[in-house]
Amino acid sequence: MITVTIDGKKIQVEEGTNILKAAEKLDIKIPTLCYHPLIEPYAACRVCLVEVTLRGKTELVTACNTKVQEGMDIQTTSPRAVQSRRLNVEMLLARAPAAEPLQRLAREMGLEKPRFPVRDPQEKCILCGLCVRACEEIVGACAISFVDRGIERKVMPPFGEPSVACIGCTACAYFCPTGAITYEDKYGRKVIHDELYLGPSTAIRVPIRQAVPMVPFIDEKACIHFKTGRCQLCAKVCDRQAINHEMEDEVIEVEVGSIIMATGFKPFDARRIPAYGYGRLSNVITALEFEHLVNASGPTGGKILLTNGEEPKSVGIVHCVGSRDEHYNEYCSRVCCMYSLKFAHLIKEKTKAEIYDFYIDLRCFGKGYEEFYHRLLEEGTKFIRGRVAEITDLALTKEEEGKLIIRVEDTLLGVVRRIPVDMVILATGLEPSVDHNQIAKIFNISCSQDMFFLERHPKLAPVSSFSDGIFLAGCCQGPKDIPDSVAQAGAAAAEALALADKGVFALEPVTAEINEELCSGCQICIGLCPFKAITYDREKDISVVNDALCKGCGTCVAACPSGAAQQRHFRDRQIMAEIEGLLIL
Amino acid sequence: MAVEKEKLYRVHLMVCAGTGCVSNHAFEIKEALEKEIKRRGLEKEVKVVTTGCNGFCERGPLMVVQPGNIFYQMLTVKDIPYLVEEHLLKGRPVKKLMYQPPEEKTPVPVLSEINFFKKQVLVALRNRGLIDPEKIEDYIARDGYKALVKALTQMTPEEIIHEVTISGLRGRGGAGFPTGLKWQLVRNAISPDNEKYLVCNGDEGDPGAFMDRSILEADPHSVIEGMLIGAKAIGATQGFIYVRNEYPLAVKRILIALDQARYYGLLGHDILGTGFDFDIRVVRGAGAFVCGEETALLASIEGRLGEPRPRPPYPAEKGLWGKPTCINNVETWANIPVIIDRGGKWFASIGTATSKGTKVFSIVGKINNTGLVEVPMGITLREIIYDIGGGIPGGKKFKAVQTGGPSGGCIPAELINLPIDYESLTAAGSMMGSGGMVVMDEDTCMVDVARYFLSFTQDESCGKCTPCREGTKAMLDILTRITEGKGTEEDLGLLEELADTIKEASLCGLGKTAPNPVLTTLRYFRDEYIAHIQDKKCPAHVCRSLNVYKIDPQICFEKGHGCDVCRRNCATDAIIGSKGEAHKIDQTKCIKCGVCFDVCHFGAVKVE
Repeated sequence: MITVTIDGKKIQVEEGTNILKAAEKLDIKIPTLCYHPLIEPYAACRVCLVEVTLRGKTELVTACNTKVQEGMDIQTTSPRAVQSRRLNVEMLLARAPAAEPLQRLAREMGLEKPRFPVRDPQEKCILCGLCVRACEEIVGACAISFVDRGIERKVMPPFGEPSVACIGCTACAYFCPTGAITYEDKYGRKVIHDELYLGPSTAIRVPIRQAVPMVPFIDEKACIHFKTGRCQLCAKVCDRQAINHEMEDEVIEVEVGSIIMATGFKPFDARRIPAYGYGRLSNVITALEFEHLVNASGPTGGKILLTNGEEPKSVGIVHCVGSRDEHYNEYCSRVCCMYSLKFAHLIKEKTKAEIYDFYIDLRCFGKGYEEFYHRLLEEGTKFIRGRVAEITDLALTKEEEGKLIIRVEDTLLGVVRRIPVDMVILATGLEPSVDHNQIAKIFNISCSQDMFFLERHPKLAPVSSFSDGIFLAGCCQGPKDIPDSVAQAGAAAAEALALADKGVFALEPVTAEINEELCSGCQICIGLCPFKAITYDREKDISVVNDALCKGCGTCVAACPSGAAQQRHFRDRQIMAEIEGLLIL
Repeated sequence: MAVEKEKLYRVHLMVCAGTGCVSNHAFEIKEALEKEIKRRGLEKEVKVVTTGCNGFCERGPLMVVQPGNIFYQMLTVKDIPYLVEEHLLKGRPVKKLMYQPPEEKTPVPVLSEINFFKKQVLVALRNRGLIDPEKIEDYIARDGYKALVKALTQMTPEEIIHEVTISGLRGRGGAGFPTGLKWQLVRNAISPDNEKYLVCNGDEGDPGAFMDRSILEADPHSVIEGMLIGAKAIGATQGFIYVRNEYPLAVKRILIALDQARYYGLLGHDILGTGFDFDIRVVRGAGAFVCGEETALLASIEGRLGEPRPRPPYPAEKGLWGKPTCINNVETWANIPVIIDRGGKWFASIGTATSKGTKVFSIVGKINNTGLVEVPMGITLREIIYDIGGGIPGGKKFKAVQTGGPSGGCIPAELINLPIDYESLTAAGSMMGSGGMVVMDEDTCMVDVARYFLSFTQDESCGKCTPCREGTKAMLDILTRITEGKGTEEDLGLLEELADTIKEASLCGLGKTAPNPVLTTLRYFRDEYIAHIQDKKCPAHVCRSLNVYKIDPQICFEKGHGCDVCRRNCATDAIIGSKGEAHKIDQTKCIKCGVCFDVCHFGAVKVE
């Protein structure tokens, strides 16, 4: 620790601390323009000048890069320092009169107008070099640099042309204290369909703002560190040291007694129906995107807005997108009707928009659902029965111009209608999750025709699978809403607990066994076993039956060429004896 | 490259091939000499040698005949046949080609008798005019690399540093940091992988300064030998010579010298069989003045933008690529072999109490003997300007001398007896600098001089720190305003305020010294500023927009008979009158270009 005196007050700070930080500890603010705690000091603006006396020598030094030394006497407000600082700010103000932090500093110093000629009243750049240094030190891209020298100095990419070294990270704009560097996306607007998350996203973020658990992750595609090997600012500022860029995925093996499958679903990809224009037409969004948009902690703060930032005057909600459709999924996704009604209600509540609801059948089957539907009817939502044929922006009349036109056969009126709206919400259905098939294979779970996991019995064992100890919960077993999922999960948990509570597991008495002496190790049985209950023992060169997995189906017994596989209680001898007994009768 | 066995000759003609003489056709003189010698059949007796800069640039092209040390000057190709016939064939030195001091009637034939050379003490320039810089054999014949052998075989690094320390040698780049101390710091500095670097700063940028260029051109091996000794002392394995690319001859000669040194085993691996490794790379600078600042120079070698960084850490701790680096000026390195060879005590016997040894100056400006001189420290300005420099041409009055280039200040005529050393120059508001000396006579406007030097620093400022970038421009604006007659009383106060802040608040030496020309001229010639501001007059008639041109009708009519030359040359038709009558200037049309003044043969045009 080093003891220094700042403005007459003594303070102990760690070795290597700069004067700026030491003064901060005493609540003494030294103005600075080119310093940033995450970037190496540059000492260019000379606004942080302080007067330092050390070993009888007094001089002006910059507080940002000067490290404290034992016995330093620092004067932050000596007339000499203040005078120099003031003149520097005045000179900078003549260069960049439009720089807001500079104006503030000048006002604090009582400076009105610089005595020096102003070259460009719109200039904002104070040449602090934070952008250049961030690009080099933090990003490692070195895409911009100072060019020219002296009074002509400016920041530029090479030759003033868009730089190939620029990775578009916008770190320069982030570190620019005066807003002299700005950026825009390719189309000058915020893109919402290119990614699920509205607005500009950072490399560290939570998947969505309503995510549970709320844990941020690093997006390797966007993270500067994974592009250039530099940055790692997040690790520097995280005082919990929770960030580790070297961390890799790892496989953890856990031994358990029972497993509950709750692998969920994936929403239907609306791009698969080209006629609906999702991904091609702006303002055609999916239900999940609308849910994100309308959420109070969402990108618009819960306001329902079009991509141009205006409120929609009419909204169409299309039911059964990807459900009840022989081209995609024949089953009903069960939840879309009700969430569509909820959307209609929310839009009514938040905007003055006209709402059209295109349905095939409205399936309001739950408790209080039908009443909700009636409430919607009263609120004035227009329900049109018919499957939407096409959504287009090709206008045929003046009224349709600039709108999205929904073409639909109104089966109640028996006519084809064209309805122009501002926004279309596609009520996308539910599909088995992406790696559903792999999971099914690993856990040896059968799937029904719709590819969701098959329960052991639809009525008597709705949460069990065909493998003992493996239970099903939620949408992995079939589309269902939250109450149903919760109920099923409760049941699955109870089943698992029942097993755990017992502590012992009663095996089926009728299982197969393999006689070690007779087994030739041909492994025919292994391929045939539907329950993956037989494994191969390399040391002994024989097949072995796992009693816990064997269901006693007898396939292996019938297939074994050497007769090594035998079914307990139904050995060949016993069966023959039974047959003999029957024949005697 | 084979070692050439030197033949013996009766006479050696040492033709100066410094940049000054070369641009005065020295190589043509050399060709003419060779041709003439061959014609006369003297080629086996007489040898023509091209040497580095002789120093007496004013009188170029130069030639010295050895033995005899006969000095010939201002040669032309036409003189050669006569000179060869008279001197070489008949043995009669040619008087009309010898130097004749203006105040004397007879020429001085022997070089060492000439005043310009008489008072000089040659240490760094010990081989000037005596060797061919492109021949290592010449250098070795003059005891070259003797000091290196001594340093490598008989001395420990500590002994070398001790010798340099007691010599009192201080950095010749201008700041005057004790060289021995710097070496000790670099030697003590800890380098993680034991790598240390050595740099020779040859980025000489001061207007009117050419000491480093001359040394590199005339005696590159002395710098290489100095660096080798330095490398042994601090434990460096790699050296760099940073030289600006505007010095093509210097670059060429260093490269030749490096090749020769490598060939002789004086550079590279296992030097002289002592197990000591060292090599030197030449880095060519693009000519930015700021790259003479050590941290900017290091950045430039590393391939980064040539701009300074704050110190500490000093290069001695963290220099090139973060390794301890010793950086010295060309002249400093050239002094090292002599110090090691003849001992630090001998070196310390020259000079003053705090400034030891000699210093090379380039004297330019309004002076009779423009050239390069090496004088002992403590010599007075009077001795340099009048005894060596031969005084001011045209019998004009000496007004001031600018030392230390754009970073130095103007020392007025009152201080002509000032002894030259680091401390006294600093006390006078100037500095030693790298040794440029610009002499000014009474026709020089000091405001204009200050404006000129400031326009140089303003232009050469890297632009990194605010005071230097914005402040020098603001000062230049004010000075320009004053020289245009638009200055106000407040301007002087603002000028001083700016100068103080730039001096105190700038990041590097360039900014810290940039206001010196203004501060010293304000200190010694304030009345000139006031004349510009209050009377709107330039006492030296230099600032043209303040001049009023008038034609004396009497002279115009009586002497010139109204020759009409001025009217015909006037770009704005401001001169009224026709041939045969006295002319007049219409002040409303006059743009003060001064053409009439220049073209009038009769002195009828007057400046007020």
